[in-house]
Amino acid sequence: MNAPPEFRVAHTAGAAVVSLRAAWPGGATAESLPGLASVMGSGLSEGSQRRDWRQLAEDAEALGASIQCGASFEAVGLSIDAMAADWVRVLDWAQELLLEPVFPHDRCRWLARQAAAELESMADQPDVVAQRAFLEHLYLPHPRSRPLKGDEASLQRVDGDACSEFYRAHRAAGPLLLSVAGPIDEEAVLRGLEERFSPRLLAQALASGPSRELATPPKIEGNPQRRREVKLPAQGDQAHVYAGHLTVPQSHPDATALQVLAVILGAGGGLHGRIPHRIREQEGLAYSAYAHTLAGAGLAPGRLTLYAGTAAAQAARVETGLVEELERLVEEGPEAAEVEEARTFLLGRDPFLRETPRQVASLMVDSAFYGLPMDDPEWRRGQLEAVDREVAERVARRWLRPDQLRITVGLP
Amino acid sequence: MTDPLIDLSGASPLLIPPLPGERQHHRLSNGLRVALVHNPQAPVVTCALWYRAGTRDEGPQEGGAAHFLEHMMFKGSRRFGPGVVDRRTQAHGGTNNAFTSHEATAYYFSFARDRWPLALEIEADRMEALTLDPDETASERQVVLEEIAMYEGEPWDALEMKVQSELYGDHPYGKPVLGTRESLGTLGPEELRAFHRRHYRPGNAVLVVAGDLEAGHRYALERVEQTFGAIEAGAASAPFPQAAAPALGEWRRVERRRGETARLILAARVPGVLEGGDVRPSYAALQLASTVLSGGRASRLQRRLVDEGQLCSWVSSHLTEGAETATFSVSLEVLPGVSPARVEEELFAVLQELASGPPGERELERARRVQLADWVFANERIHQQAMTLGFDLILFQEDHGRRLTAASLASTPQALSAAMAEAVDPRSGGIIGWSLPES
Repeated sequence: MNAPPEFRVAHTAGAAVVSLRAAWPGGATAESLPGLASVMGSGLSEGSQRRDWRQLAEDAEALGASIQCGASFEAVGLSIDAMAADWVRVLDWAQELLLEPVFPHDRCRWLARQAAAELESMADQPDVVAQRAFLEHLYLPHPRSRPLKGDEASLQRVDGDACSEFYRAHRAAGPLLLSVAGPIDEEAVLRGLEERFSPRLLAQALASGPSRELATPPKIEGNPQRRREVKLPAQGDQAHVYAGHLTVPQSHPDATALQVLAVILGAGGGLHGRIPHRIREQEGLAYSAYAHTLAGAGLAPGRLTLYAGTAAAQAARVETGLVEELERLVEEGPEAAEVEEARTFLLGRDPFLRETPRQVASLMVDSAFYGLPMDDPEWRRGQLEAVDREVAERVARRWLRPDQLRITVGLP
Repeated sequence: MTDPLIDLSGASPLLIPPLPGERQHHRLSNGLRVALVHNPQAPVVTCALWYRAGTRDEGPQEGGAAHFLEHMMFKGSRRFGPGVVDRRTQAHGGTNNAFTSHEATAYYFSFARDRWPLALEIEADRMEALTLDPDETASERQVVLEEIAMYEGEPWDALEMKVQSELYGDHPYGKPVLGTRESLGTLGPEELRAFHRRHYRPGNAVLVVAGDLEAGHRYALERVEQTFGAIEAGAASAPFPQAAAPALGEWRRVERRRGETARLILAARVPGVLEGGDVRPSYAALQLASTVLSGGRASRLQRRLVDEGQLCSWVSSHLTEGAETATFSVSLEVLPGVSPARVEEELFAVLQELASGPPGERELERARRVQLADWVFANERIHQQAMTLGFDLILFQEDHGRRLTAASLASTPQALSAAMAEAVDPRSGGIIGWSLPES
């Protein structure tokens, strides 16, 4: 069954740029072969029924347009940014790439090889290796415990046929979401989308060949071990300390309060949060120290993440500092002034998230994807204004759990 | 009326849009240059204060002082104690940050349109009365040492520092912006105060206030005058003599043996962006040549080394924007199983082809469009517009970036070829820097 598409358009002031964003549910969470979703997503621009990848690239770049395709853990997506005058071409490209991809075998094999190379490169980077170990610690055996790009062995099995099958299964599984923002005529763009993505054309795009069931991912269990150490590649002498646990999905009613708590802990605009203030400003232990409470949150739960990079000899002291700051926040609760400052900060940041057509188009697709009016500033304001000290304290006690921390220490 | 920055040399004239907004320029009696830009595209304001002081302005015993001082600007001044700048910024719903380069140091705040004057109060206070407490200095030194360790642990950063050092030797561009562990050990409050006194004065700075100045230019100027107007002008100091970059005369190799992936930075010195106060034509041409090489998937290096040649996982080329001398570089990562020597050979072949034969008009037009789009995308946001304007004013002149882009787009195929030939001339030489697997 092919769900009807959903379109959103917005006229924006500013630069003469038009941005299109498209997404549909699926992504690596639903893949049975690690790395397949990522290659399939990138493969959307590797050739269509009309043109090969060279012609697509040349035609887009001849107008200075930028086309990016890919997949996340939960979605497959396309983004096109171009000069506003070229908006009709942007709609045409989107139709061609989203409805007529052919996933040439040689190009998909090349993308898989390229992905394997990127994995090898990341394995050289100590901070990335430590972060990967932390994600594995939290998410095993769910796909989020491994790199989005898969692994070397699985990538050897990714080819054009696998991409085609996965595309059909995905595209049929959920609605196609499309947004366009820029100095545009909203009605004309909406008509253009309706013409190019009519139910009939969507059905035609999926008509050929069998469709495969999406894989159901294993449940998130995580590694029960509270603390583990991993050996880092011999690049430098820094240790990377991660501590955290899972929290809530993007659409959870407590998500906004957790964002406020993230600012209090260290996700704000400077070094004022409790983690960077103690680890960096007071004790001089790290250059990079931060905290998040909803990292990676989507349909699946996000994660509390407390992080600092430090000299190996100081790793234990940093670890203690991270844990103690979390315990202090949960035991004592946030101060009223902290909550007010964090809310003000998030409200103040909001206009900066809606400045460009790219940002607006992305927000519109995210809103449709999560079923939340994230593109409405008034909704956002209301959410934040509902978080007072009592709410923040309750949410901290419920979702920030020092006893459930998983600590990964990467050592050189 | 004809816009002087329309490129008429191509098949289709390309209009390079100016930075948006109503702009006013002022100079206070103490020498501070002020640019006020009213642009209501979003209800936000960025305040950026640029100092013409960077690593190149450090004395022989001051390695890392410019960057260290940047950190200390957040560690206390007369009215804003340690940590207060960040706390007040956050409490006002804003963000702040700073960076140091070889040429300049910039501090910036972004706020909602009704809160930006706080940025002026902070900047004026730390320009006039920075504390530099010894304990805070000692603590922050440890932070900078951790920053050095962080970059040393990143394969690309470590390779880049090594290449830069070999390419420029004792010239200021060869010195690491962060300094070294040794040089930082000699820097205390007095050394930093001396650097601050020499360079952090109104006449050596440019202030940009850009965004939705809803109360008008006049109000903005009054606020600037109230906060900065009483600061003493200070005296300009003579620059330290600067060592020349070494004559290389050949392509020299440097190697780093770490990790599993082969990474290359090829770098050459080229004449800087200015010639007689205006944009140097060969520099502008080289910028467009760089786009022909690596701007987009249809570019030469992308096709030959990545998408068609399948030798590398990615490649990019870059041209820095030094006034007198600049660096043209190509960076890439080699695919597993591919010989680095084969990649190097192919890379030089592609560069030589462009050096020896001008690109066709269609290829050039593609590169022009890509570069024009880069300019537009890079200046979409208020913050980006403020930073572009500040960069132009502190190091060059108003509209420098747009003029450079215009000159670049107007470059002829022959000029591109000649500029590339100059960049890869073996008689000038350069650095071939490899980070190679240990085994």
